[in-house]
Parts: sequence; structure tokens; C-alpha cells
Amino acid sequence: MPDEIRDEIPVIELENVEKYFGDLHVLDNINLRVKKGEVVVIIGPSGSGKSTLCRTVNRLETIDSGKIRIAGEEMPAEGKELARIRSEVGMVFQSFNLFAHKTILENVIMAPMSVKKTPKAQAVKEAMELLKRVGVESQASKVPAQLSGGQQQRVAIARALAMHPRAMLFDEPTSALDPEMINEVLDVIREVAEEGMTMLIVTHEMNFARQVADRIIFMDQGRILEESTPEAFFEAPKTERAREFLSKYSVSTSRLPRGAYESVEKHASGVLGMRISATPEA
Amino acid sequence: MKKSNRKSIQNVLYENPGPRMRARIRAATILSLFLLLLLLFFIVRQFLITGQLDARYWSFFLRPTTWRFLGMGLLGTVEAAALGGIVALVSGFFLMLARISRFGTLRFLSMIVTEFTRGIPTLLFIYFFFLVIPQFGIKMPPLWKIALPVAISASGIVAEVLRSGVNAVPKGQREAALSLGMLEHVVFIKIIFPQAIRFVIPALIAELVIVVKDTSFAYVVSFPDLMQNAKVLISNYDALLSVYLVVAVIYIVINYLLNRLSLFAASKMKIEA
Ligand SMILES: Nc1ncnc2c1ncn2[C@@H]1O[C@H](COP(=O)(O)OP(=O)(O)OP(=O)(O)O)[C@@H](O)[C@H]1O
Ligand SMILES: [Mg+2]
Repeated sequence: MPDEIRDEIPVIELENVEKYFGDLHVLDNINLRVKKGEVVVIIGPSGSGKSTLCRTVNRLETIDSGKIRIAGEEMPAEGKELARIRSEVGMVFQSFNLFAHKTILENVIMAPMSVKKTPKAQAVKEAMELLKRVGVESQASKVPAQLSGGQQQRVAIARALAMHPRAMLFDEPTSALDPEMINEVLDVIREVAEEGMTMLIVTHEMNFARQVADRIIFMDQGRILEESTPEAFFEAPKTERAREFLSKYSVSTSRLPRGAYESVEKHASGVLGMRISATPEA
Repeated sequence: MKKSNRKSIQNVLYENPGPRMRARIRAATILSLFLLLLLLFFIVRQFLITGQLDARYWSFFLRPTTWRFLGMGLLGTVEAAALGGIVALVSGFFLMLARISRFGTLRFLSMIVTEFTRGIPTLLFIYFFFLVIPQFGIKMPPLWKIALPVAISASGIVAEVLRSGVNAVPKGQREAALSLGMLEHVVFIKIIFPQAIRFVIPALIAELVIVVKDTSFAYVVSFPDLMQNAKVLISNYDALLSVYLVVAVIYIVINYLLNRLSLFAASKMKIEA
């Protein structure tokens, strides 16, 4: 297949996806295409189905109907084929999920060695380069519990990258972090995005979303309500639901220098129901 | 990381004692030491009165043959316990696998077997191997006649202990491994089980201690273990109390060593609580 044609096939494609948790219609006719190199950010209120959507893409959640394709290939239901497709889609979880009984280095080399049969020497070399890229190479021989949350999440990103995935899924990668560690993780994600990785990101970090996204998806009650560019979405949301949602956040209208934004605003406004701006108004 | 375990547990249960509490702890220590000495005094006095400390009850412990005989018994106990322990661990592992399998019938069968082995006293299994099995014309060496029933009796609990360990592994570990493209059985072997076993080492060792103690029923099938040989000494020298005391101490030492082993194993596996 010539490259131009392959580039037109979406890396991630969801077509008429439906899912129920009992009576709850958690994914309601979801259609979504993520092109090669595109960064799509999903936002929406709690319980709107963002995590579920993210997890269906590598079949950690099954769907009731519809189709999910990765690089044009339909997601197999089970077995080796499913595992192979999963290995092509990296996933970063809210709770890091590093393998607790393995060292940092072992965490990163495990899948390349056991899934891709990469020789150990090469796996270690690549792992050390990745760990260096995310700034934790000095921790390589420690176990996860000895690292800070921010360091663990950066290792988790390196672990996913070690499989050379076509695309990466992030499900609230900074929601379990202390405020001072959020930026170090967002910086790494931004760098990976700048290198052209195809990404689907669920986040509550609005300023980060605005900076990094090519496209914003706004979800509510299992449906995609809006799909637009960051500028259009944050400056002129089309639906009342999105306006109401955004009013709880303070999104800077200017493009801030890297690392200049805060996330405490979200928690403060969420709890107190008022607008507290932690970012300098432009 | 090298902090002693007991200390950290005490720190969890109680706050650090202040000066008044420290004084009270000291008083309690002195009082209980005194009571303990008093108890020991009465025991020894009673022994003296009833003549249990007479030379004839103890002098045969000076003969090497006594110790060689006890040593052979100890060897028998170790053999039976090791064989029984290994069989219990292996069969418990497979029972656990069946219990968490995807197939309902397997799960059901495993549950029945587990409940069965847990609910029946070890001695009944031993009598089964001693009385019933030979009637089917199956010949078995005495070592197996004690090791197998003891193992069967422990296997159900081993299975449940292992299963509780598997359930204690956070489900994110499995999801992360699956998302990297690892196959379900590889995930279990490389990620889930190694963590599960770390969680349950203390409980497993506790079960092995029970295996050791259960082998003391070996006299039923005439297998020469520590207890069986002790009984021979007792009837030879007509010395019940002294022999039982010595044998009790030997059992305590074995099980103490088992416990040390578990601590050693735990520390070797870099457990992070
Ligand atoms: N395994 C499950 N069984 C039943 N209901 C579930 C399950 N997982 C999620 N849900 C429900 O589905 C809905 C969507 O959940 P989901 O986690 O996708 O929301 P979310 O948009 O990620 O929310 P948040 O921002 O809080 O993470 C919620 O109402 C949740 O309670
Ligand atoms: Mg979520």
C-alpha cells in the first residue's frame, strides 16, 4: 500500500459505537476518526463516558455494537490477533499501573522482550534512551514504589513508547498527581505530541488541552456533543452544555509558555462552585 | 526499608509512648516477668515432688543412640512434611487455577474439592489412606500414606490463600499488561502470580507449619517420624514427660526455622508494601 493512501486511513476509527452498562447508555452512537499524527482531546463532565470510550479503543471494554478499527483493521475479539493490535496502541492510565514487582528498567523492557521478542541488549538500550527522554534514567534500577507519582507516570509513558505504538491513549494522566508534578508529565506528553504521535487524550487540564489539541471532542451523557478546533471550542462553544461546563474552568485565552499554567483552578472551582483564576488573565 | 517489621507495626497500632506510658510499660514488663518466674518455680517444684526430674527419666538422653533414634524420626518428619508441603502447594495451585478459570464447571468442581478438603479433619484422610486404599489393592510406601493425606488436607486452604493473593493484585496491573499486547496467560505468569505470591507468603508458611504438625499422625500408618520414634522411646524407658518435652522443643525449632525462612524469602523478593 503506498504511503499516501495509508496516511488517509485513520489510525483510530470508531463507527456507530454503542455500549451499555446495564440500563446506562454509556456510549451513544459514537463516531470518531483520528488521523495519523493528530492529537484529539476528549473533555466532558464526570461520568460522561470519556474513560469508557478510551478503554474501548484497545478493548479493555467491549462494545455492544458498532466497529472499531486501528489503522483500518477491525479490532479482533480475542486471542493473539487482539494482543497484536493492542501492542500497537499504547495506553497511559490515571493510576500509572507500573508493574509493582519489577524495576523501572524491567517495566520498560518487559513487553518488547516478551511480546516483540526484542533481544535483551537492544531492549535495554532503547529503554535507557526512553527513560532518559522522560528524565528518569537515574531511577532505572529502583522499583515503582520508590518513585514520585510524576516520575512513575513518565515511566509509564516510556513503557508505552517502548512498543513503538501507532497511537497512544491517555486517560486522565495527571488526575492522580500532586499539583507540582502535573507539569512535568504534561511536558512529556506535549513533546511526544510534537514528535508526531497520534494521540487520544482524556483530560481535565483545559489549558493543556487547548495547547496540545488539534481537535477537541466534548462528551456528555455518552454522546459527542461538540467536535471542533480548540479555538472554536473554548472561545465560542456551540452548546449550552459545553458553555456551562467551561464556566467551571478558567481557560486562558492566550497561548502560555510551557509550564506556566496551573491545575488547582479545577479543584477549587469544582469544590467551591466559583471561579478562581490561577492563570494570569490575558 | 531495613526497619524491623515489628516496630513499624507497633507504630501503626499505637502512637509513640510518652513518659507516663513508658513508666507503665516498664512496670507491666517487670510484673509479668515476676509472674512468669513464679509459674516456672511451681512447675519445677511439682516435677521435683512427683519425681519427674529423677535421673532415670533423663539419663538416657546422654546416650548417642537416643539422639540417633530421635534424629531418624526428625528426618522422617522432614521427609513427610517436605513431600506433603510440595504436593499441597502444587495441588493447591491447580485448584486455585481451576477456581479462577473461565469455565463454570471447572470453577464449580474446584469449589467442591476445596470445601471438601477444608471441611474434613486430616486424621480422617489418613485413616482413608491407611484402611481404605489398601483394600483396592493399591500398595503405597508409608511415607506417601502420611504425606498424601496431609497434603490433600492442606491443598484447599493453599488454594484459597493463593486465590486471595491473586484477588489482591490491583486490576490495573492486568490492564496495563494487556494494553502492552501481552497474552492473558503470560500476564498471569509474569505479572499477576508473582505479585500474588508475595502478598501471601506469610499465610502460606502458616499453612506449611500446619502440614508439619499434621505429619505427627504418622504413627497411624507406622511411618517412623519424630512422634512415632518418641513413642518408642517412651515405652522403652517409661519416660513420658521428659521425651514429650524434648520432642515439643524440636517441633518448635522446626516451625521457628520455617518462619525465619518465610521472612528471608519475603525480603529476597523486594516486597513493597
Ligand atoms: N464497569 C462498570 N460497570 C457499570 N458502570 C460503569 C462501569 N464503568 C463505568 N461505569 C459508569 O459509566 C459511566 C461513564 O463512566 P466513565 O468512567 O467512562 O466516565 P468518565 O467520563 O471517564 O468520568 P470521569 O471524568 O469521572 O473519569 C459512569 O456513570 C460510570 O458510573
Ligand atoms: Mg474517567
